Amino acid sequence: MAKEQKFFLPYKLIKSRASHFVSPIKLSTVFRFMLYRTNAKSLFITAALISWSLLLANVLLAAESMHRESSNALDLPFVNNFLIVVFIISVFGFQRLSAENLKGIDFIGYLWNIFAKGGVAAYLSVALYMVYRMVTNYSSVQSPLLLHMVYQVNFGLLVLFLAKAFYVWRQLLLYHKNKFLQIAWDWYEILLFATLILTLLNFNYSSLIFMPLLGLIGLYTLFLCTNLKWVAYLTFNKKGRSLILLVAILLACYIFFDFFYDFADSPLLVIDYSDVGFLLLAMFFVALYTLASFLVALFSLPTSSVFEQKSEDLLNFQRLSQSIQQGQSEKQVYDMLFESTVKASDASAAWLEIFKGEKKDEIELCHQLTIEEEQIKRIRHLLLAYNIQHIDYINNNLDRNPGFRDLTLPWKSLIILPIKSKKHLFGVLYLLKDIEQGFDRETVNVLRTFTNQTILTIENLRLVHESLQNERYKEELKIASVVQDSLIPKKFPSDSWFEISTYAKAAKEVGGDFYDFLQLSESRIAIIIGDVSGKGISAAFHMAQMKGIFHGLMQQDMPPSEFMKQANSALSRCLEKTSFITSALYIIDYRMKGFMFARAGHCHTLYYNSMMDDTFYFQTDGLGLGIIRDKSYNNHVREMYYDYNPTDVMVIYTDGIVEARNPQNDEYGEERLRYMLTQTYHLEAEDIKYAIINDLEDFTGPTENIYDDQTLLVIKFKPTQPSE
Amino acid sequence: MKITNQIKDTTIIITLDGELDASSSVMLDEALSDPEIMTYSKILVDCKDLNYISSAGLGVFISHLQRFEDAQIKLIFYNMQDKVRNVFEILGLDLLMTIVSDYEEAMTIADE
Repeated sequence: MAKEQKFFLPYKLIKSRASHFVSPIKLSTVFRFMLYRTNAKSLFITAALISWSLLLANVLLAAESMHRESSNALDLPFVNNFLIVVFIISVFGFQRLSAENLKGIDFIGYLWNIFAKGGVAAYLSVALYMVYRMVTNYSSVQSPLLLHMVYQVNFGLLVLFLAKAFYVWRQLLLYHKNKFLQIAWDWYEILLFATLILTLLNFNYSSLIFMPLLGLIGLYTLFLCTNLKWVAYLTFNKKGRSLILLVAILLACYIFFDFFYDFADSPLLVIDYSDVGFLLLAMFFVALYTLASFLVALFSLPTSSVFEQKSEDLLNFQRLSQSIQQGQSEKQVYDMLFESTVKASDASAAWLEIFKGEKKDEIELCHQLTIEEEQIKRIRHLLLAYNIQHIDYINNNLDRNPGFRDLTLPWKSLIILPIKSKKHLFGVLYLLKDIEQGFDRETVNVLRTFTNQTILTIENLRLVHESLQNERYKEELKIASVVQDSLIPKKFPSDSWFEISTYAKAAKEVGGDFYDFLQLSESRIAIIIGDVSGKGISAAFHMAQMKGIFHGLMQQDMPPSEFMKQANSALSRCLEKTSFITSALYIIDYRMKGFMFARAGHCHTLYYNSMMDDTFYFQTDGLGLGIIRDKSYNNHVREMYYDYNPTDVMVIYTDGIVEARNPQNDEYGEERLRYMLTQTYHLEAEDIKYAIINDLEDFTGPTENIYDDQTLLVIKFKPTQPSE
Repeated sequence: MKITNQIKDTTIIITLDGELDASSSVMLDEALSDPEIMTYSKILVDCKDLNYISSAGLGVFISHLQRFEDAQIKLIFYNMQDKVRNVFEILGLDLLMTIVSDYEEAMTIADE
């Protein structure tokens, strides 16, 4: 016993910890636990075998001595009782561990488990007893030793059966348990095992003192046997099968009870296992629970189809609502709707129309059940005549309506369920039944719930699709702005001839502004500014092309107008039809103190001439790149040469600056920009830039999202260095 | 953006009302891509209520320009606001496209 105790305690301890396992993180612990379980199981088996064998030997020894001395006294009652208790605890402990493996809702599997591994024991014991009877009848020899053997084997089989049934019933009884039930059961188990102490101390449980206690335990058992939730989950077919199994188990109970009742207080035997109260109580529980299950299963047979239908409806609702996460298509949702509604209403014919596109006349007949297209056409025609084609409509007696009577349809009830949200009509579902009053209020409610759920699902599917599209668009913009950012030089060469200051701010939807420079020789630098039409990734892509063209062509050092001609010719072959690029190219020559430039549809260059103390725009002609895609472009671009003076200021920008708007929707404009330069030309390039940008921000007000990219370059020519 | 069509004999008058930006230029592209438009000899575009034109809007006109020219269909803009005209001019489109001040002038040019 002490050995068993030691065993039970740590096992319980570990088990309570084991129930907290959620993930396989503590694999080592689980592994140790499993090892422990297998160890425990083999220990239980060994203990059971040893105790049973010792018991058998002891009983046979006692029987032999009784036979000789004709005395009925058992030599060592306490030793025997101890062995009985060890055997019972070992078998029950083993079954408790193996029953833990039973999981899930395959209840037939549970019942089969009891029958195959426990119930068969009963039939085995009957067979054994029959063989014994036959042997004794034929040989007409009374063999007390043989009888004791049979009795002892049957005792083993009984304990095996009870233990198996007891713990499988425990699993079922605790199905969908709550805390109270768990506690109630734990106490019941403890109480039951406590009765083994009576056996150990050789008390007679049938004495009057224990009667009320037994009665109370009986009531307790009765209360526990009312927990039969699992029966409700059986389908009609499964209930039928489980009834057969339950009868077989009941029969097993009866066989054992009958056998041990017959041999109770038999003078032929030295030992009487009906004295063990624990076995009686366990048998009482097993039999009662089997009986209760049987009765409940039997009487719930007629209603099980209703329960099945409801649970299937519920399952279908679930499937519909989960179809979004499973990434199913609209078609699959309609499939589900059609299947579920036909099943839920038990319709004899049905069809589903889905509207394709915005126009209502494009109908797709996507499902048809036992109905001809010809019949559908006739019914639809009639509904059109009544003008009730896309509204909720129930007719539970079609024969009473002359229009339907004339169609001579084999159906008597019709329900029309439009699948529509507030804004959109997705389709219409038609269900037909061959009996009158086929669609009662309950069914209609279920059907409406189905269609509502479908609408929700379809709309959500579309929303998810849209947001995915948006997400992709945003991602594209992010790439575009990264590309754009990488195309713009971060640093200009710091030179003693001029100072330059740049500003670039990208719009949220990324326009196509860019600028770049290339040192042509020691004294010459080319500066390009441009704006690609369009937005997003295609704009960024064209920008990259333009940058490539700039660096490629300017390696050959050509005048700006020639550059524009060749760039136009190059772009003509790769630019989309609706895209074009505006650009301006400046080649500044420090030594000559002048610059050459050409404009291709880009914003006019703002200039401050310090000699004349005047600010003005260079008004030159020049067509954007990619607008005319043949040689005739060459007539549309002009080149200009200008000598600069020290402290002259040149302002280069894109349309994002002059077309920036204030809340009143006025544009910033060229005039205001020019005015700003007249006020700031004496400052350094950096400060002129800040002055203009600050004024621009004052004008537009605080906005997070500017509409178009803004780019601004301020160049201020410096006086000649003394060293030159 | 509102685009309305008005037909007078062999002339179609397209009235643009609002701002021609990236999204509304798709509508304009659809209107100009209509095969029926090739059956007219003149296309007049009334820009009186056109408040803004983006590069995408310009791109639509540019992409159809060659096609109309090949089919000898005249494309004439009139009643253009100064700031919109400025956008056409900066890009150099005023030299490629016919932009006149009012409807009468547009009709006389169209009839030449």
